[in-house]
Amino acid sequence: MLSRMTNFWRNIFAKEKTDRDLDEEVRSYSDLLVQEKIREGINPEEARRAAKLQLGGVEQVKEEVRRARTGAWLDSVFQDFRYAARTLRKNPGFSAIAILTLALGIGANTAIFTLTYAVILKSLPVPNPQQLVRYTFRSGVQDLGLSGPLYDALRKHEQATQDLLAWTSSKLAVQENSAVTNVDGALISGNGFRVLELQPVMGRVFTDADDQPAGGPNGYQVLISYSYWKDHFQGSPSVIGRSLIINGKPVTILGVLSQGFQGVIAGERADVVLPLSFEEVLNAPKPMRHHPGSFWLTVIGRLNPGATLRNAQSNLLATQNSVRDEADPSHRYLSGFFAAFQLGAESGRSGRSSLKIIYSRPLIVLEILVGMVLLLCCANTALLVLARVSNRLREFAVRSALGASGRRLFRQVLSEVALLAFCGLLAGIALGWLAATSLVSMLAAIGQPPPLDAAPQAAVLAFTAVISVLSAFVAGAWPAFRASRVAPILGLKQNAVAASSRALGKWIVPTQVAVSVVLLAVASLLGQSFFHLLHEDSGFRPENAVMADVDLTPNKLSETVATHDAQQIVDALTSSTGVDSAAVMSSPPLKGWWSSSHYYSLDHNGAAHTDMQIWPEAVTPDYFSVIGTPIREGRAFNRADATAAQVCILSVSAAHNFFSGEEALGRFVYTGGSDVSLDGKSPASSQDTCQVIGVAADARFESLREPPERVIYHLIPQNQVGSDFFLVVRSNNIPVATAAIREAVRKTVPGAPEPTVFTFDQLVVAHLHQERMLSALSACFAAVALLLTALGLYGLLSRNVVMRRKEIGLRLALGANPGDALVLVLRQGLRLVVIGSVVGLIAAVATTKLLGTLLVGLQPNKPLLLIAAVTALFLVALAASCIPAWRAARVDPMEALRYE
Amino acid sequence: MTQDQTNLLQGTLDMMILKALALDQMHGLGISRRIEQITKGTFQVKPGSLFPALHRMEEEGWLVSSWGESENNRRAKYYRLTKAGRRQLESETQRWGRISLAIARALEAS
Repeated sequence: MLSRMTNFWRNIFAKEKTDRDLDEEVRSYSDLLVQEKIREGINPEEARRAAKLQLGGVEQVKEEVRRARTGAWLDSVFQDFRYAARTLRKNPGFSAIAILTLALGIGANTAIFTLTYAVILKSLPVPNPQQLVRYTFRSGVQDLGLSGPLYDALRKHEQATQDLLAWTSSKLAVQENSAVTNVDGALISGNGFRVLELQPVMGRVFTDADDQPAGGPNGYQVLISYSYWKDHFQGSPSVIGRSLIINGKPVTILGVLSQGFQGVIAGERADVVLPLSFEEVLNAPKPMRHHPGSFWLTVIGRLNPGATLRNAQSNLLATQNSVRDEADPSHRYLSGFFAAFQLGAESGRSGRSSLKIIYSRPLIVLEILVGMVLLLCCANTALLVLARVSNRLREFAVRSALGASGRRLFRQVLSEVALLAFCGLLAGIALGWLAATSLVSMLAAIGQPPPLDAAPQAAVLAFTAVISVLSAFVAGAWPAFRASRVAPILGLKQNAVAASSRALGKWIVPTQVAVSVVLLAVASLLGQSFFHLLHEDSGFRPENAVMADVDLTPNKLSETVATHDAQQIVDALTSSTGVDSAAVMSSPPLKGWWSSSHYYSLDHNGAAHTDMQIWPEAVTPDYFSVIGTPIREGRAFNRADATAAQVCILSVSAAHNFFSGEEALGRFVYTGGSDVSLDGKSPASSQDTCQVIGVAADARFESLREPPERVIYHLIPQNQVGSDFFLVVRSNNIPVATAAIREAVRKTVPGAPEPTVFTFDQLVVAHLHQERMLSALSACFAAVALLLTALGLYGLLSRNVVMRRKEIGLRLALGANPGDALVLVLRQGLRLVVIGSVVGLIAAVATTKLLGTLLVGLQPNKPLLLIAAVTALFLVALAASCIPAWRAARVDPMEALRYE
Repeated sequence: MTQDQTNLLQGTLDMMILKALALDQMHGLGISRRIEQITKGTFQVKPGSLFPALHRMEEEGWLVSSWGESENNRRAKYYRLTKAGRRQLESETQRWGRISLAIARALEAS
């Protein structure tokens, strides 16, 4: 074995020396032979001739020996690659186009796969992540998470898992040496790290004893992430036991978490992790740990050995009613939610990832589309290589006549393509990385950093390498096969050459056309649905308006103070120059917020109409004029309302729901579910009652993709806002308004974080980022497809014109006019396009139907779009055929006939 | 036709070379002359078969080679049997003995 290795080594790397040795040996043999002949009495001249005859060719002998050696195959592979590199260098134009084409396909696939990997495939960095189950409370893509009591009840009833952890992320104010910084933090239940099976790098992790009110016996303990430890404590081992002040509470560092662990929520960081009981500090004086209707927990469990996700799901189905009843014995809070949301269990392998929920299906769609693009790139490369092979048929024929085996010729062409693919791979990785980075930044919410890491991962690179090898094979196999089948006799004929390459073009170009039609149809469908949503009537008309997110959570203000501050800010803004008007709203539209409450009305017979899902919105008096939602009946708020009895404004659909077509103005609505507070009595206090003074047009707060929700507008300060509220400011000068907002917030609430300012249009675009990304990318893919198809068609027709030059010349000489030549070429191109289009149309109908099932709200049956796609393709194909056709028409008969 | 012959006789060629080298070290031409001699001219080994076989057998570890002077002061590469080569010759001889005996019997019987 060892000697074999040394042989191999010697044959490959000490090749020259071995070769010299061999040369000398064969020469000495021939010398000895000559000597022998001379001794036998033959004259030297004759002897040399005889020796040569007997020896055969020196080179052939040497070749035989080389072939017998260990590792001979590798040597010839090297040879193939060296030869391939030389040929490619000699044809820089061809090489550049082929490499670019492949790089485009490989790069696009790398970019999309980077996203797919980061969003769908990546697991939490914990042992056996496939055993994790995540519990959700979902309605469509909206996942509220669980409330404290739901978590407690579920933990008690759940049988399929060993234990459940609860996690929530939170911005924390960490004080170090008198400087306060906002740090991404999280809270975790005491059993959390046991469920995750995560060991600390240093110190220890939490146990149940650390997750008690006021922390453990030694107060609150805190864990820090590996990167926080490296960045803020220089990786010092003495960090354990140090104390920090977080949100005003002294805490002690208990341990350092393992490298790479950034919590269980994708796209978020958790640099400091506290026990769940710290929530009483965060949300003092109104902690929500035991509130059944406050949903703030991400709950993850680890399956029992042998249990499956299905077990967990069926277990949940059986127990969810008792879980609900135990979490909310009064039925006051949860019954409404359970009407709209469902408890569920899904794989917790990647933790909680809103991106995963939202983007799983779009990414599958993108993977399909980008796969088609790669197919096109391979087809184009195949055409290019095929053209090259037919140009070189003579060379191949000669080589085969000289004894090159078919396999060797096959390998040679394949090595050329492999080399192209390798260059394409390198360029594709760079291209893919760039594209992935910009895609990821498209996913970011307004004012937020990109939620994902787009840096190349080992898994992504492996994927890219695999698709490169595949594309090299797809693009190279057929041309290589052709090359290997070249009959030596072809070297002598010329016209036979052309036929073989044309035959394949007959397949490749229609395939390209078909794939392009599919991509075009998909792109126009996605684009159309994006524009449709973009211009959907949101119910807001905020031209010349900016919005701002004022998040005073770190300032720890009570709702009363926050509401007061909000009003102060609006007053300050209204009086500042450059601002026309301003208003506050408690929950922003289209930002993924979800807000719901229970109200009921009484009809003329005293029967209650309850609405369990109505969106409450607290606004300042000028809100409707600022945001542009028209008042349909009655009036908007005015300042005098603030001091009078409670009033409210309903959206059209809310009014309809409460009063079913009857006059709504002047009627009353009451807070709470009728089943809870009404028990035959009249509505409780004036606090819970409000009179309807107006009906506003419907507005879409949650999503443009769904029908508008029912909204009840309350007046600030009759209703209060939370510490995170929104400003709407109308102004002709956005920069001035932006500055005014910052100024007003800074003046009113000293130490407040800088508000995030955005326009409504930005909000809509960010809200529709899924559609935007899909339509933008599919448009890119379609454009690439068109370009590649045009190039393929152009290349094929041009070649044909060159090949049929003589024939065309003859026709022209015999009296055909140039127009006939033009038509000849155009007709040829057209035939390929028609065949491809028919196949493409059928495939497009199927593909768009598939998309309709994958993407919610997409209506696939749009014949107009299909027609548009085919028309676009025909125009491009026509343009691509024109140049070769024109060239055909310009063939000079005399010159063409003299040619050859 | 020669191609077929060498293929058919590859195993035989190895054995012949081993046998030729059994007594003394020899260079390429010497080996082919010796084979001709011991087979009474039945086998004529062409360089195109001889050299690949020598190199292959050297890689197998049956032969070692070294440069030396030929009888008439020419530089030549000499091959010599190793221990492994001797063992190989023994086992080859036995194998061939069995095969030729079996074939002989098969042809005698009728």
